[in-house]
Amino acid sequence: MKTPFMLTIVLALCLSLGAQTDKPAQDRHLAKLPAVDIQTIDGKVFNTSEIQNDGKPVIVSLWATWCKPCIAELLAIADEYEDWVEETGVKLYAVSIDDAKTSARVAPFVKGKGWDYTVLLDVNSDFKRAMNVNDVPYMCILNGKGEIVWQHTSYAPGSEQEVYEVVKRLAAEK
Amino acid sequence: MSKFLRLASILLLLLSVSTVKAQHEFGNSRISGDFGFNGMYYIPDSIIGAEKVDSKVRANAFINLLYSNGGFSAGVRYEYYQFPLIDFEKIDYKGQGIKYFFADYKNKFIQVTAGNFYEQFGNGLTLRAYEDRQLGIDNSLLGARVKLTPYKGIYLKGVWGVERRNFDSYIGRKDFVRGADAEISFGEIFPVIQDKGFVARVGANIVSKFEKGSGDYIFNIYPGPDSTAEAYIPGDKIPENVLAWATRMTFGYKDFRLEAEYARKINDPNVSNFHIYKPGEALFLSATYAMKGFGVAASFIRADNMEFRSQRMEYSNSLLFINNIPAINRQYSYQLIGNYSYASQPNGQIGAQLQINYQIPKKSKIGGKYGTDLTFNYSRFHNIDKQPVAEAVANGTPTGTEGYTSSFFKFGPDLLYQDIGLEISRRFTKHWKLILAYNYITYNIAELQGHPGMMRGHLVAADLQYKINNKHALRLEAQHLYTKDDDGSSAYAMLEYSVSPHWFVSVGDDWNYGNPDPNKRVHYYNISAAYVWNTTRIALNFGKTQEGILCVGGVCRAVPASYGVGLSVTTSF
Repeated sequence: MKTPFMLTIVLALCLSLGAQTDKPAQDRHLAKLPAVDIQTIDGKVFNTSEIQNDGKPVIVSLWATWCKPCIAELLAIADEYEDWVEETGVKLYAVSIDDAKTSARVAPFVKGKGWDYTVLLDVNSDFKRAMNVNDVPYMCILNGKGEIVWQHTSYAPGSEQEVYEVVKRLAAEK
Repeated sequence: MSKFLRLASILLLLLSVSTVKAQHEFGNSRISGDFGFNGMYYIPDSIIGAEKVDSKVRANAFINLLYSNGGFSAGVRYEYYQFPLIDFEKIDYKGQGIKYFFADYKNKFIQVTAGNFYEQFGNGLTLRAYEDRQLGIDNSLLGARVKLTPYKGIYLKGVWGVERRNFDSYIGRKDFVRGADAEISFGEIFPVIQDKGFVARVGANIVSKFEKGSGDYIFNIYPGPDSTAEAYIPGDKIPENVLAWATRMTFGYKDFRLEAEYARKINDPNVSNFHIYKPGEALFLSATYAMKGFGVAASFIRADNMEFRSQRMEYSNSLLFINNIPAINRQYSYQLIGNYSYASQPNGQIGAQLQINYQIPKKSKIGGKYGTDLTFNYSRFHNIDKQPVAEAVANGTPTGTEGYTSSFFKFGPDLLYQDIGLEISRRFTKHWKLILAYNYITYNIAELQGHPGMMRGHLVAADLQYKINNKHALRLEAQHLYTKDDDGSSAYAMLEYSVSPHWFVSVGDDWNYGNPDPNKRVHYYNISAAYVWNTTRIALNFGKTQEGILCVGGVCRAVPASYGVGLSVTTSF
């Protein structure tokens, strides 16, 4: 019977991971974004480790043109984005996981919506996989050092307020 | 009961992983992961056609672990699909074990991957190894990959691997895929091009499939138990190597962009093309223009005999595809037209798609305070023109011949799919938001699903959102499909209440009130609740699912009718 063997391996891994959580919070450095080659909207290679904002907070959203809640979330933020940028200097990277079928439509879509986000294309879901993201929408917030301080999946109307609170706090920390 | 216990233990185990929060750092190294569990308790229901299943409790579960340290990374995925959800069992995605693992090293000039990997050349016309967990597709290659960047703006890739086939063993496989791709981005080599607002890139690739022949070939022309039509091809006439190649280019100036890719495949007699020797070809064109508040995207595709698989006798909908011919139509998530989503036809389709986005400006008289978004869409796909060659006519079968000739830009006689749609999205106040959509859809059931008929239907959909305050919101989705064809008209309504950021509760009903058979005018109701905490989502639902097809990005598979209670858990850590 192979199953119990596999389970033991997984269990052992889990336990070994669990042991690592005992570190004091301040000693633990937070994770940064993985370095994965994706594309800019112009089709140029862009490494995700270059996602930054001169020491100011960054929002990273994984979305797709076919994902309704993703669009609802980005639309809700778009309504207030100007104010957010003015107050906190935040920058939003909207990483689309549209593949070859729809990736050509991302640029017109974004422009048609009048979004001021920096749009990137993850056409083969490499970044999504490296981020361990199962489903979109997924959003994370990076502090000035590029560390992931907040993450979330799904979108409920109003949750953009929480995003804003986190961003405001990070901007004030500087 | 023991199966239930087994599933419960798997779920518990996976949950225990999720309690391990935060990041795991050992010096510069880091471990992260994610897992998913999707289980269901099935209740038989003869009216909707939900069969009695041998194990009532079923689940799909997987866990991914990733390790990284500087330029080095490694990963492994364990999947437990021993008693999978019935739609996965139907496509034979059943088993358990580690079918995905890799080690990868990357620096500025080189990236080397050993193990399983996903890869795409250009738009994927010749090679696309990808996964879609919802559909149960995992076409990863097990082998090695090298990526080189010898000079800024020059990108080279080489791959070799054996394609994954569900939980089957790789041992004893007589087929593999190898390929190489090169891309030159002129804007990166000569910055002056980029500074003037131009984008110019070209690329080319070759992909070769090897599959060892096994003597003379006697087989059913049409796969399936009912077929007795036998054909014969002598062993020395079966090509063991099948070569495909493609060239592509992108040209852009400021907000305008043109993309083109042309692919060709040499003789590849296989079960999907009735073993003809005609070469395959595909052309994909896309032009877009975008400015603030306005965007246009037009694309064209023609594919002829381009189904390309690792094994010539494979005919399952989801297995062993090497390439992916994209379905370029606009994809919708409306419940009532889910069963009428276009599926890409690699062996014969010609069609075009046009989408226009316009935003009536914010703070204008018509646009309102927040602006109003309009999206217009048109797409139309036909089969391709096919004239059988004389030899095929004389033999009474295309098998073993060139098959047919096809005039390149001629639309074939059968309409496969057409969609005319308009969507208006407007936010009225801080509280109210409305999306209205209308679509007229023509869907060729005979060609796309294999049973006779053509569906012509009008869909009207509304999505109304009322944000009570910063935490509470209500969303109502209402849809009506009017059609005299297939299963007739349906109405759908779904009310969702969310408490940001944690809770989602919804009730919905899809009522097939216009079904020609009065006994099948069934309510497919659904109740669900979900709790989201950071990257963890737990959802419980109860309801009925109509028999139909599930399509993600133009790739579709059958979904049997079902009734029961479902639990899904996903998280990343």
